[in-house]
Amino acid sequence: MMKKLLTIGLVLVLALLVASCGQSQQQAPKAEETIKIGVQGPISGDWALEGQGFVNAVTLLAEQVNAKGGLLGKKIEIIQGDDKGDPKEASLVAQKMVSSKVIAVLGAYNSSATEPASGIYNEAKILHITPSSTATKLTEKGYKLFFRTCFLDDRQGLFAADFITGTLGKKKVALIHDNTTYAKGLADWTKKYLEEKGATVVFNDAITPKEKDFTSTLTKVKSLDPEVIYFTGYFSEGGLLVRQARELGIKAIFMAGDANNNPDFVKNAGVQAAKGAIITTLPMPKDLPYNEAKQFIADYKAKYGKDPESIWTLTEADAFRLVVEAIEKTKSTDPVKLAEYLHTQLKDFPGITGPINYDEKGDRKGAGHTAYVIDEKGEFVLYKK
Amino acid sequence: MQQFFQQLVNGLTIGSIYALVALGYTMVYGILKMINFAHGELFMIGSFLAFTLIVSVGLMNIIPSPMVGLLIVFLFVACLVAILGVLLERTAYRPLRRSTRLAPLVSALGASIFLQNAIMLIYGGGYLVFPENLVPNINWNIGGVNIGLMRVLILFLSLSLMAALYLLVQKTRLGAAMRACSLDHDTARLMGINVDRIIALVFIIGPALGAIAGIMVGLYYRQINFTMGWAYGLRAFTAAILGGIGNIPGAMVGGLLLGVFETIGAGYVSAAWKDAISFLILILILILRPTGLLGERVAEKV
Amino acid sequence: MLANPRKPNKLWYLYLALGAGALIYPLVANAYWLDVANFFGIYVLLGLSLNIIVGYVGLFNLGHAAFYAVGAYTTAILSTRFHVPVLLLLPVSAILAAFVGYVVSRPILHLRGDYLCIVTIGFGEIVRITLNNDPFGLTGGPNGIMGIARPELFGFRVYQPLHYYFLIWFLVLLTIFALKRLENSRIGRAWNYIREDELAAAAMGIDVNRLKLLAFMLGAGLAGVAGNIYASKMTVIAPESFSFWESVVMFCIVVLGGPGSIPGIMVGALGMFVLPELFRGFVKARMLVFGLAMILMMIFRPAGLWPAQRYREAVREEEDKRLPADQELKTTSGGLKG
Repeated sequence: MMKKLLTIGLVLVLALLVASCGQSQQQAPKAEETIKIGVQGPISGDWALEGQGFVNAVTLLAEQVNAKGGLLGKKIEIIQGDDKGDPKEASLVAQKMVSSKVIAVLGAYNSSATEPASGIYNEAKILHITPSSTATKLTEKGYKLFFRTCFLDDRQGLFAADFITGTLGKKKVALIHDNTTYAKGLADWTKKYLEEKGATVVFNDAITPKEKDFTSTLTKVKSLDPEVIYFTGYFSEGGLLVRQARELGIKAIFMAGDANNNPDFVKNAGVQAAKGAIITTLPMPKDLPYNEAKQFIADYKAKYGKDPESIWTLTEADAFRLVVEAIEKTKSTDPVKLAEYLHTQLKDFPGITGPINYDEKGDRKGAGHTAYVIDEKGEFVLYKK
Repeated sequence: MQQFFQQLVNGLTIGSIYALVALGYTMVYGILKMINFAHGELFMIGSFLAFTLIVSVGLMNIIPSPMVGLLIVFLFVACLVAILGVLLERTAYRPLRRSTRLAPLVSALGASIFLQNAIMLIYGGGYLVFPENLVPNINWNIGGVNIGLMRVLILFLSLSLMAALYLLVQKTRLGAAMRACSLDHDTARLMGINVDRIIALVFIIGPALGAIAGIMVGLYYRQINFTMGWAYGLRAFTAAILGGIGNIPGAMVGGLLLGVFETIGAGYVSAAWKDAISFLILILILILRPTGLLGERVAEKV
Repeated sequence: MLANPRKPNKLWYLYLALGAGALIYPLVANAYWLDVANFFGIYVLLGLSLNIIVGYVGLFNLGHAAFYAVGAYTTAILSTRFHVPVLLLLPVSAILAAFVGYVVSRPILHLRGDYLCIVTIGFGEIVRITLNNDPFGLTGGPNGIMGIARPELFGFRVYQPLHYYFLIWFLVLLTIFALKRLENSRIGRAWNYIREDELAAAAMGIDVNRLKLLAFMLGAGLAGVAGNIYASKMTVIAPESFSFWESVVMFCIVVLGGPGSIPGIMVGALGMFVLPELFRGFVKARMLVFGLAMILMMIFRPAGLWPAQRYREAVREEEDKRLPADQELKTTSGGLKG
């Protein structure tokens, strides 16, 4: 028995040794044949949908590029890394990406997974673009190779506050978030700008994501009698919230942030309840003049038989297109040169989510938020006063 | 006051789902003294199977009467999940009956991970949405308190199922056999009870009730996803412990109470803190009454 | 019941081989595999800490991530706000986590096995929710805390995977050495006695409650140490790193490896952490395979991959004593009443 275990132990150690040797050696010669681009995101776990959206978007675009003969005469190879949204896994994925010699990594969905990865990529001089991590701190470290294709939360908060106090002319607001980095950030910014504009925030609390019953929170909101309810979390909860609010007889205007810009918001809520709900978001692809957007959505539907999973699927696609653009323009796959190009020469790149420009920190300039309202057919139409 | 009653109604709706799921935990615990951590996944699978029947198969279009259609969904899915429950017991738990108390716990966690990911691979990682108006959307307003038809149905169905189970366990010969098994397997066997069959029965009833709860969640909230078994399972397990695990009325009381704690916590303190509040109350109750609210004081035999 | 003095001799060869392997490893491993070894080391530390509670004393604890979190957040808060050196925070984190362990376990020690299980789950959730809700602006809410400092020793800054490899495995070795001593001490033997038969232990004059408390405090303190290392290694911590799932992983490390057995914990951590890492190629299906592996493992090796010596001997004696006629009856009741 003892001997057997001893052997098992030794074999395991050897296996690890061999695995690590093999890993470090076999990659080196292959790196020349393809251009490797990493996709990092929560492919499994709670946010599996978003991570799989990343992979879908990038796979689709990479196939298109490869079908046209690739970049600089080389094919693009996609390396997937599942971080489950967990910081520890994210740092391991990052190390793995580095050792598979990728030139760029697109991703990490949540800010707390992007943070530890960004340090590792920066040290290894790999271009790193996150499509969805909006924490302001990420771009404050002076990493030259770090970019994002999403806007910071404060722009949307400002837009929402302007919209509520200006366009709608309301003063009494209830904010509901879900205690995720993104939703809480958006709620806090909105609160700040609302109060600057003289509105009162009567309620600001979190629901628990992945739950189904929010009637307790809504009953409390009802008793405070707000004119507007602004929900900053995700469509899966947003749809349930608006329906349960209407069932409880809440008449207030229901508004929701850009993570609710998803057809499933209406499906979850039911057309009856969703009607009249207002969504603050970047303009939707169908309302964008860009052919890129329409083309991407159509291709995505043709390949996967469904709409893109969320707005972040589109920003991930933009991240990939940025890398392609930079490689084509610089005729180089050196991440440092690519980053320099994005910082200095990129101008109004026609992104799926609108024109893309970068400031020196790697944040996307400008913001083009707008408001949609859901009509009686359950369609998202541009809000007109 | 009106707000309080509304919260009470909200709490009872949530709580009756917890209670139904909690029955599965409590019955398995009563007989096998093990926590079936995979029970939440069976609940989740129930709602996914119902989704398949209603949306993919289009059962409601085939059968003219929605009432009959739903009845078929409930019965068929409950049977399927019951079979799955028995299979689970056979493969993951029975081989471990002789081993330590820790081993079945880990096996159950493994089964839970396995089932959850199997569903994710089959149905995808996203949310599935049930069609609207399977149950007519009727709302009553009684003194400012809103009560929907579906909520009444959930509460009614849960309570009647629980009552039926209670009668089964307390008044029938089969129930007597179950109670005997929960006290002592060896003695029960000497009395001519087929212990394995009783265990199988427990793994039929528990998962079937869980599946029914899952279908009701699908019908009422209309939105299901593969991780929901974990969330509901943990709450239901808490409810079972709160009432006194191994005790059937305890699971009902625990479930309803937990639902009310949650809504009161969310309504009067903060929704972000509500789970912390529920757990705090649970811990306090257990410190004062170490075997739960209705649990019997059993001298521990170590 | 006591460890056979002849047995450990054979183990020495294994330890020697492992030690040699551990020294060669950094020479051949790249940064990724070094980091795998680093996180493996952290999980070994966590497994060892939980093993004190679950393995030695036999108390259910499914909320161990809470103590890990206390250690990590103590380090993070004191490092980012007051710029206390991270290495100095190592004992501070340990002491604070141990203190929390004391406060939490004191009122709940009298609970029976499964009730203890849910109470520890509840405690773990309370801690996670508290961290997520950012009380007094201390924990940073869902964003967590970023920018935690790296440890520094005599001007040498520990930041590369290779540095951490040596720091972490030095701590692991130190812990194993200390635990080995503890196992065979009066306290260790008393713990095992409590696990095997609490009533008899009490009757023999063992202060059961005090020893249980001690186990909780030591286990929590060691988890606090792991939290400190984790925080400085990651430089960012967030509540989702300390979820219920993390407690489940630690629990499985102990039970899969072999409760009460130090080499078992290492094998368990290997199984729970390194194997899924090797499965990374499967991406989507890897957790499916993993769940299946957990079930199979328990069916074929219910006492763990590397059962503790005491445990194995106890089982063998039991089997020897049992008459064939007995065995049939034992099948139904064995283990049910714990």
